Amino acid sequence: MFHWLEKHPFFFAVGVFVTIAFAGLIEILPNFAQASRPVIGTAPYSTLELAGRHVYIKNSCNACHSQLVRPFKSETDRYGHYSLSGEYAYDRPFLWGSKRTGPDLMRVGNYRTTDWHENHMKDPASVVPGSIMPAYKWMFTNNADVDTAYAEQLTVANAFSVPYNEPVPMKDGSTKIVKMGKNLAEARALALAEAKEIVADMKDQDVKDAVARGEIPEIVAIIAYMNSLK
Amino acid sequence: MENRPLEYDYTVAKMFMFTTIVLGIVGMLIGVILAFQLAFPSVNTILGEGLAEYTNFSRLRPLHTDAVIFGFTLSGIFATWYYVGQRVLKVSMAESGLLMFLGKLHFWLYLIVVAAVVVTLFMGITTSKEYAEFEWPIDIAVVVVWVLWGMGLFGLIGIRREKSLYISIWYYIATFLGIAMLYLFNNMEIPTYFASGGIGSWWHSVSMYAGTNDALVQWWYGHNAVAFGFTVPIVAMIYYFLPKESGQAIYSYKLSLLSFWGLMFVYLWAGGHHLLYSTVPDWMQTMGSIFSVILILPSWGSAINMLLTMKGEWQQVAASPLIKFMILASTFYMFSTLEGPIQAIKSVNAIAHFTDWIVGHVHDGVLGWVGFMIMASLFHMAPRVFKREIYSKSLMATQFWIQTLGVVLYFTSMWIAGITQGMMWRAHDEFGNLAYSFIDTVTVLHPYYTIRGVGGLLYLVGFLMFAYNIYKTMSARPVEESELQNASPMGA
Amino acid sequence: MDIAELQAYGYFALTATLVVVLYGYIYHLYSKKKDADGHDYEDYSNMALKDDITDTPVSAVSDDKEK
Ligand code: HEC
Ligand code: HEM
Ligand code: HEM
Repeated sequence: MFHWLEKHPFFFAVGVFVTIAFAGLIEILPNFAQASRPVIGTAPYSTLELAGRHVYIKNSCNACHSQLVRPFKSETDRYGHYSLSGEYAYDRPFLWGSKRTGPDLMRVGNYRTTDWHENHMKDPASVVPGSIMPAYKWMFTNNADVDTAYAEQLTVANAFSVPYNEPVPMKDGSTKIVKMGKNLAEARALALAEAKEIVADMKDQDVKDAVARGEIPEIVAIIAYMNSLK
Repeated sequence: MENRPLEYDYTVAKMFMFTTIVLGIVGMLIGVILAFQLAFPSVNTILGEGLAEYTNFSRLRPLHTDAVIFGFTLSGIFATWYYVGQRVLKVSMAESGLLMFLGKLHFWLYLIVVAAVVVTLFMGITTSKEYAEFEWPIDIAVVVVWVLWGMGLFGLIGIRREKSLYISIWYYIATFLGIAMLYLFNNMEIPTYFASGGIGSWWHSVSMYAGTNDALVQWWYGHNAVAFGFTVPIVAMIYYFLPKESGQAIYSYKLSLLSFWGLMFVYLWAGGHHLLYSTVPDWMQTMGSIFSVILILPSWGSAINMLLTMKGEWQQVAASPLIKFMILASTFYMFSTLEGPIQAIKSVNAIAHFTDWIVGHVHDGVLGWVGFMIMASLFHMAPRVFKREIYSKSLMATQFWIQTLGVVLYFTSMWIAGITQGMMWRAHDEFGNLAYSFIDTVTVLHPYYTIRGVGGLLYLVGFLMFAYNIYKTMSARPVEESELQNASPMGA
Repeated sequence: MDIAELQAYGYFALTATLVVVLYGYIYHLYSKKKDADGHDYEDYSNMALKDDITDTPVSAVSDDKEK
């Protein structure tokens, strides 16, 4: 057998491929059936939250922040309940990160508020002396891309049956409906309505004016996203 | 053609040598900037508040990793392939117009993709997946570049004179196949613009996998991108360049064959060690740990084989800076493949994960092993490709010591930083409360971040010396007449 | 049998096969010492050491055609 393989480079390449493909096949495929079911209390992202998630990705916050609470006392003390697989059912892509230069943000919505974020994103070191997080001042002037967020909602609703406009069960036994616009105009209106609630708690006058004009600065979207992390 | 004797044609190899050096400088410069940003946050606005959006840590970090992996390392892999491939197959690229054309096309398309990557990452267009940040249009271009390389690779094998494939060729083939498979599966994504009937940005896409599944695929990819980008092709290089430069036959060719199959079989299983204590199934995490420990065997099989190749010839290590580079590279390879399995033990990973210890592990591998081996390969190639002797041996020796010091400063500081941070995160006081707030664990790292920055700067300085040495080699020295045998000729 | 069990069996069977193959290969290499064409494996190092375009290949492709 070995003598034969030595004379046939093509079958050699096939041999290499089988050897390396084997692990992937066994390890990954079968789990796809199981891992993606949402747990109770996990709802899809609204248009504004999703736009905020895009801002988060655009600025690689995941380069410094994890979103994965491991099951150790020190972590659950610091960040809250450890992560469950189903909590990530609507995360495309996942944002677990691989480096914690800053703290975990999996449940940051439980203990930080809109105005805290506003000050912190503008100048982290003034809120937390000694912070090495960059200041994200341009988020107060750049506008968030709501259209792309809506396009993504449509895509996942069609391709992966993400339950928009449907009741999803919550922990307290109630249900919640995450609305998605029927068309782009409606989606923009929904996002703006949500943005108005956020800016009500903010101080920056330029941002307030922008939202009043119908624009949505990136900072509003990313705060909406962070408030949704619970 | 008829009357001239046939020669190896290094046109494409030269082109990729050029990008190896340029992208190496760019990537490492960004690395040094990142390192100082963590030590001194004001560096985030180094070009003023107005440009901070593009110069802050979070925009630059993906640029660093992609510039050094897909720029520096990958160019190095291609450059050595277009050199080693011809030689061990004993066939010249000049013999086939088609292969020559494919090779050049490969280079130019590669360059276009690099440009596209730089622009999009600066703009913040990214999928966020580590080492797979590119959006779908670039992914497609990457596949084309890869296929072109594959056609050139198998084409050259097809017209070879040497019937058997040298062990390095095995490793290049594995690199090609491995990355092809991994890249395709990890980048399965749906462009939202088309799926939603034309809404939003046309380049945006959404991953086919969600949450835990996405993480599983990503780290199956991420781990093996390390395997097939930082290990397999670099082993291909050392199996050619060390025997060649020293004139010694590989200590045991049989051992090299065995290590190859061992590595192929074990590596893919170890990906789970990036996801310990996460929400992926337990048995997979355990498997990741166990196979990581087994992985020492094939890794050390190759490394020891290389060190033993120098058996009885150690005076060469003292005499030649070029051999020093290679021996240090295989030593660092042994080092990081011992460190990796230790970090993969679950209880160790509980402390090490998410900390700077991992960053330390990454860089003793990439700086000590990948970087040194690529520079050594280019040093060996330069006299043969340009038909000149290396400009300066003493510059090379100085570079060696400066960079070695740089690597040592880098990984020692990151070890201390990582373990300090890991221990502080988990410390409780006598009442069972957390002993430190998070910011305490950040400020304490300042001195180590500074030392790392200095270490990185030294490594960059050394790399600039390398670039200068190669530049002077190609432009300043007289032409060597005959085809060179083993040890590379060097000027004082 | 659920999918996890199937996965475990598949994993075990394939690993066992590959381990056998790998050990078979070790045995083959060190007992035969020579490959299908009768070359000592250790000679293959010369593919790197004698790699000028004018050097004679360790085992030339053209040998096959002559046979
Ligand atoms: C250079 C690494 C770095 C980057 C990039 C970074 N951060 Fe941070 N972040 C930190 C550090 C360090 C802290 C802890 C000190 C502090 O609170 O400022 C922190 C703290 C935070 C906190 C407070 C969490 C808590 O529990 O107190 C939030 C919220 C946050 N960051 C959000 C973000 C967002 C959103 C982004 C992306 C736009 C981002 N960070 C990018 C390093 C970073
Ligand atoms: C036996 C071989 C090796 C094993 C078992 C191993 C193991 C590990 C482990 C356990 C981690 C940490 C995962 C985490 O907790 O986040 C890691 C990360 C990493 N290793 Fe290795 N390692 C090995 C060899 C190498 C080599 C030789 C290199 C490079 C030259 C390398 C490059 C990396 C990189 C780049 C990461 C970081 C991934 C990320 O988080 O972005 N490894 N490795
Ligand atoms: C001049 C030398 C270099 C310096 C100063 C440097 C610095 C850095 C810094 C500061 C980071 C970010 C760490 C963090 O997030 O805390 C980083 C990450 C990384 N660098 Fe470098 N780098 C250098 C060279 C290289 C080279 C040559 C390579 C590869 C060939 C490389 C590969 C990586 C990788 C893979 C990561 C991601 C690690 C992870 O996610 O865990 N670096 N580097």
